[in-house]
Amino acid sequence: MRDALDKNPGFDPRSGGTSAPSTTGAPPATSRTIEGEFSCVGKPLPRPDVAAKATGAAVYGADLVLPGMLTGRILTSPYAHAKILSIDTSKAKALAGVAAVITHEDVPKLRFTRSVMAEGLPPFAYEGENQDQFILSDKARYVGDWIAAVAAVDTYTAEKALDLIEVEYEQLPAVFDPEEALKPGSPIIHEGWPGNVAGVIDHPFSRGDLDKALADSDYVVEFRGRNSRQKQAHLEPDVAVARWEPDGRLTVWSPNQNAHLAKKTMAQRILGINEGDIRWITTTVGGGFGARLSFGVEPVAVLLAKITGKPVKVFVTREEDFSGWSSRTEQRQTIRMGVTKGGTITAIEQRILSDAGAYFSHSGTISAVNMQATLGVMRSPVVSGKATIVYTNNPTSSGMRGYGNPEGSFVLQQAIDMAAEKCGMDPLEFRLKNAKGTGEPSMWEPVTLTSCALETCIRLGAERIGWKEKWHGWGASTGAAGPSPGGRYRRGVGMSIMTHASGAGGFLLEHSSAIIKLDEDGSVQLAVSPCEMGQGILGALSQIAAEGMGLRYEDVHVITGDTDVTLFDIGSHASRSTYAIGNAVLDAARQVRATVLERAAGILETSPRALDIRGGSVFVKADPTQTVAVAEIARGAIYDYGLEGRHITATGKHQALTHCPNFQAGFSEIEVDTETGVIKVLKYVVAHDIGRAINPLTVESCLQGGAYQGLGYALTEDLIIDEHTGKVLTDSFATYKMLSALDMPEVEVILVEEPDPSGPYGAKGVGETGITNVAPSIANALYDACRIRIHSLPMTPEKVLAALAAAPQSPDYNGG
Amino acid sequence: MTKQIAAFTVNGAEREAIIEPHMLLIDVLRDQFALTGTKYACGTGDCGACTVLLDGKPSLSCLILAVTAIGKSILTIEGLAEGPELHPLQQSFVDEGAIQCGFCTPGMILSAKSLLDENPDPSLDEIRHALAGNLCRCTGYVAIFNAVQAAAAAMKTDSTGTEARP
Amino acid sequence: MHRVLLPFEFAEPTTVRGALALIDGEKTRALAGGVDLVLRMRLRQVLPEKVVSLQKLPHLDYVRADDLGLAFGALASLRQLEASRAVREGWPLLAEAIGSIGSVQVKVQGTGVGNLCVGTPASDVAPALYALGARVRLTGLADEREIPIEEFFLDVGKTAVRPHELVTEIVVPRPPAGSGAAFMKLAKTSEDIAKVNVAVMVSVGDGAYADVSIALGSVAPTPLRAVEAESLLRMAPVGEAAGVGNPAGAAAANRVSPALEATGNPVSPGLEAAAQAAAQAAVPISDVRSTASYRKEMVRVLVKDALARATARALAGRSDVQAPGGVS
Ligand SMILES: Cc1cc2nc3c(=O)[nH]c(=O)nc-3n(C[C@H](O)[C@H](O)[C@H](O)COP(=O)(O)OP(=O)(O)OC[C@H]3O[C@@H](n4cnc5c(N)ncnc54)[C@H](O)[C@@H]3O)c2cc1C
Ligand code: FES
Ligand code: FES
Repeated sequence: MRDALDKNPGFDPRSGGTSAPSTTGAPPATSRTIEGEFSCVGKPLPRPDVAAKATGAAVYGADLVLPGMLTGRILTSPYAHAKILSIDTSKAKALAGVAAVITHEDVPKLRFTRSVMAEGLPPFAYEGENQDQFILSDKARYVGDWIAAVAAVDTYTAEKALDLIEVEYEQLPAVFDPEEALKPGSPIIHEGWPGNVAGVIDHPFSRGDLDKALADSDYVVEFRGRNSRQKQAHLEPDVAVARWEPDGRLTVWSPNQNAHLAKKTMAQRILGINEGDIRWITTTVGGGFGARLSFGVEPVAVLLAKITGKPVKVFVTREEDFSGWSSRTEQRQTIRMGVTKGGTITAIEQRILSDAGAYFSHSGTISAVNMQATLGVMRSPVVSGKATIVYTNNPTSSGMRGYGNPEGSFVLQQAIDMAAEKCGMDPLEFRLKNAKGTGEPSMWEPVTLTSCALETCIRLGAERIGWKEKWHGWGASTGAAGPSPGGRYRRGVGMSIMTHASGAGGFLLEHSSAIIKLDEDGSVQLAVSPCEMGQGILGALSQIAAEGMGLRYEDVHVITGDTDVTLFDIGSHASRSTYAIGNAVLDAARQVRATVLERAAGILETSPRALDIRGGSVFVKADPTQTVAVAEIARGAIYDYGLEGRHITATGKHQALTHCPNFQAGFSEIEVDTETGVIKVLKYVVAHDIGRAINPLTVESCLQGGAYQGLGYALTEDLIIDEHTGKVLTDSFATYKMLSALDMPEVEVILVEEPDPSGPYGAKGVGETGITNVAPSIANALYDACRIRIHSLPMTPEKVLAALAAAPQSPDYNGG
Repeated sequence: MTKQIAAFTVNGAEREAIIEPHMLLIDVLRDQFALTGTKYACGTGDCGACTVLLDGKPSLSCLILAVTAIGKSILTIEGLAEGPELHPLQQSFVDEGAIQCGFCTPGMILSAKSLLDENPDPSLDEIRHALAGNLCRCTGYVAIFNAVQAAAAAMKTDSTGTEARP
Repeated sequence: MHRVLLPFEFAEPTTVRGALALIDGEKTRALAGGVDLVLRMRLRQVLPEKVVSLQKLPHLDYVRADDLGLAFGALASLRQLEASRAVREGWPLLAEAIGSIGSVQVKVQGTGVGNLCVGTPASDVAPALYALGARVRLTGLADEREIPIEEFFLDVGKTAVRPHELVTEIVVPRPPAGSGAAFMKLAKTSEDIAKVNVAVMVSVGDGAYADVSIALGSVAPTPLRAVEAESLLRMAPVGEAAGVGNPAGAAAANRVSPALEATGNPVSPGLEAAAQAAAQAAVPISDVRSTASYRKEMVRVLVKDALARATARALAGRSDVQAPGGVS
């Protein structure tokens, strides 16, 4: 069968002809889905939120101004590890215009974790989330730890007050390397966690006798690798506004990605009040990428507002953001893989040493997801995974796009290429042979894959990058083209595959609800609670709603971001919004549709089954000239002068123990300057198993953006921490380098649409995934070009040159 | 301190603000004129989110003392559209999917405007250069390049009344 | 860390004398474009009691060229210099160097003189001016002096500007006929500050290098000339030195990767020796941008590439650079 596929690379046996994968050529790579079948779904419609963003009218947190509002600023620690002997706030308090100065003595004595997403864990799992911090610290555990806060009439006064706070520190020995932190005698960062071990996580799906399986394998490969602390670097710096209302309730405005869970955390873990006492409003979000799965400055704003009795806005500078509480978690990993001569994987082992930094935050769940994704993409009879999470005096980490997957994939995908090389197999064929498919267990093993278009993704991606012509082969043994010829500039291609959840069912509470209200003019108010952080969710949900009811896209208005109005939802993460909230919206839409049809049947004197709705009009299927407008039905339902009046509404829900994984293949072509070590990416191709692209323009843009962040992760982005002081040295965009408009290479996006039965119109997730395959495919391309492997990210020219210098030279290979 | 009443031409209108020398232009625009479309994202000149057109030229309002902008003409994103219609650049950013979170968008659009003012028919390379000082964390820029090209084409059609070159 | 500036007094004199009287260099700072100064004030790296804006000084934003040379005033912006036809045609090296600064806004706002007065060895403008033999005109209350640019940079953040003195003009002699030049820069991204940058100018006559200047940036406390390397090449025959015949180099983009045409042209021993001597002159440090050893090695590579490109340009008689994006 594989031979047949070779001859017919566009054909996919699994698609069953239900939909055709679509692709196009050079950028802007555009794939358009099946036309005709739907009226809204699958169309590149402009999103409802963007016109306000184009005119400057959109209100982000920093733009919010309330009557009498004060400005709050935070004093951070200059030391990585220090006891606070005393804090003298008297001068600051005496300054005219200062309303409050608070320290650890003023904060609730409830410990919490910043990860508000953790509230979605089942209670037994939540126990594993270390409750290890207060709003303001009683001891400095990293440079940037929060020591005191001020509320004042304006920023000028607030910052002057910060300068007047006198803190007496006693510096303590600090530790910045997770391996050092584990050694006996290392400084202890948290009293409750001896040896700095913040947690140990065993992969729940480990199975088989690892040692025996490896001993029995024909080959064993091992690869060690380490990712960088990539920053989310959302352009909007963190901000929150809080106000205690006269009735004693609290309103919080912030860009948090999980409004409902943030409300719960704030109520129960920090303030000790009821959830109903809090109204959480999500502002327009200037990028999230996982940082906003944690509390930022919200708790400080809430406390300052409480103490002053005034609304308070707290914000941070870019420098503070870089030195703060969220970056990708640094994970040092080892993958060992056993294979047979014939190229079948016999065992995979993953060991992770994860540097949480000063507080636990997301480091546990990230390690768990890393193992699920990394150990879950390939079929293997024996699997072993274990993560050790360590406290250090580095800044705290958080969720960052991909949530463990880009960390693990960088290591796994290089190990896969090494295994393929041992077997003398094309790494593409090796992946096809060993990757899981429909009917097999997903990354969360109790769940069975109901769809998987990975093979199509690999085939199409390979075609677009020119894999057959460009991949050099492993050398003489394969009889392929041979290594990249000598000379200064060497080209190579590399690939990587991944799977990622669409939703969190199985490991996290997976529950979303939506409300639809049909107004008298036939327009619809859709109330949902995802956070629109740029991913285009409001548009996608409107499309699903319109399609589900047979209304026009422009008839749907979304109300979002207010926990007083919207029903429960676990938040925007885990690439779940379109999939999970979309299902809830579709559920509600279908109910509204049924009600409309029922009322229409009465008017048209037929049965609801004989009717359909399109473009806001109900018609008789057998005789489309017989119609009644949805508006007429809606109006009649409200302005009913008898006793049958009822404003048509519905609530829909999504709840699942599954999460419908999506798949993706990425291919890079690079050129390496062997004299400077500079890697130039000539082209990146990403083929994604989207199930159904509800809005192809949005999906493409999302994958382009993911590729952009992946390229930075691979090549330039690096949070560099001074190894003596623990200070973040790259605390601005001047030193933390993200690619500019001049650096972005060609990225081709291919959307493969093989609908999954569980998603709305077959859709699966995409949000986080675009980032994952970039670095590993570049790493493998680097080997194809120069026969070197880089073990840590980013793959800087400095590292490339060092690896080239250390590489063994073969006669036909005059490497620099 | 040396407070003064200062006059600026903001989006075509004469506006006055009470300023002190240490106030940054971005803060006067946002706090005193409530023009919050101008975004603060870095304060180091690296991201371009705070870009405004100062006497027509793209300038970083986070690195300009308001006192040095007295008497000058300032265009912010709020002043771009005439009336309720979107400016062609705003429309093309909407249509081409060039906006995700939108935080970079005002600065990006103003940089693009200054490019098109000087060069109505820019090449892709010229667009990349013109936007090199504006970071976008979300889109990967490609859709933004498309939007600038689309706007250039639309503006040519507008001004000549004839079909633009494809 | 702060979001706003501390208060200071502000003056906006309209005569150079008026400005000079105020500026003492420590408690009082001159403000040109403010790109560097305002940032440092927010970060509390400099805390002047008084800021003296030069922006109202008349007639200082000129860029002027004649047979003798180029002169630009203290208020000429980087953008003005880069876009100036005279500069692009007569001093393409300077345009190329400024072209390597990514942000249009920085170039619109920042002045060429301000860029130099920051005193950073990572300046992209400085090596070009070193290679071109520029001179700096300083005006004081009592007198005026003109010094070679090598004497202007003293240490990281330190220049020859004295209290009550301003840089009023930069003077650049016209490159000799038959010369060619090239600027190259390595950085993390296209709009980053250099890890290493290199500016070279060669003039070729009778098949030999008549003159060579090689300037290096970001590899010592100040920009510097690789004097040893220059003398190795002076009078050396070009054919032997350059491995030439590669004018295509002139068209290569001046970007992150100095993406030389991927022909892998063998470079002759003459250039290689000069490049190695240049690397010997470098005394770089390790910082967030790169490591000392990488920088030193890159001096060799960039000097070699830049010499090959400059030589090719000299032989092709090509001496202009493209206008910056968007300027016609
Ligand atoms: C995002 C960004 C990217 C950058 N990238 C680059 C790059 O790639 N390459 C590069 O070379 N530079 C780069 N720069 C630096 C930039 O070019 C300089 O900061 C700018 O040119 C300084 O000029 P200015 O007129 O704004 O100086 P100002 O900030 O006004 O002044 C700088 C200093 O010089 C003094 N000064 C100014 N004029 C005079 C004078 N006439 N006489 C005496 N003293 C004076 C001031 O007192 C002050 O101390 C970058 C800057 C930013 C913000
Ligand atoms: S906020 Fe001004 S450049 Fe970033
Ligand atoms: S759209 Fe988010 S930064 Fe550009």
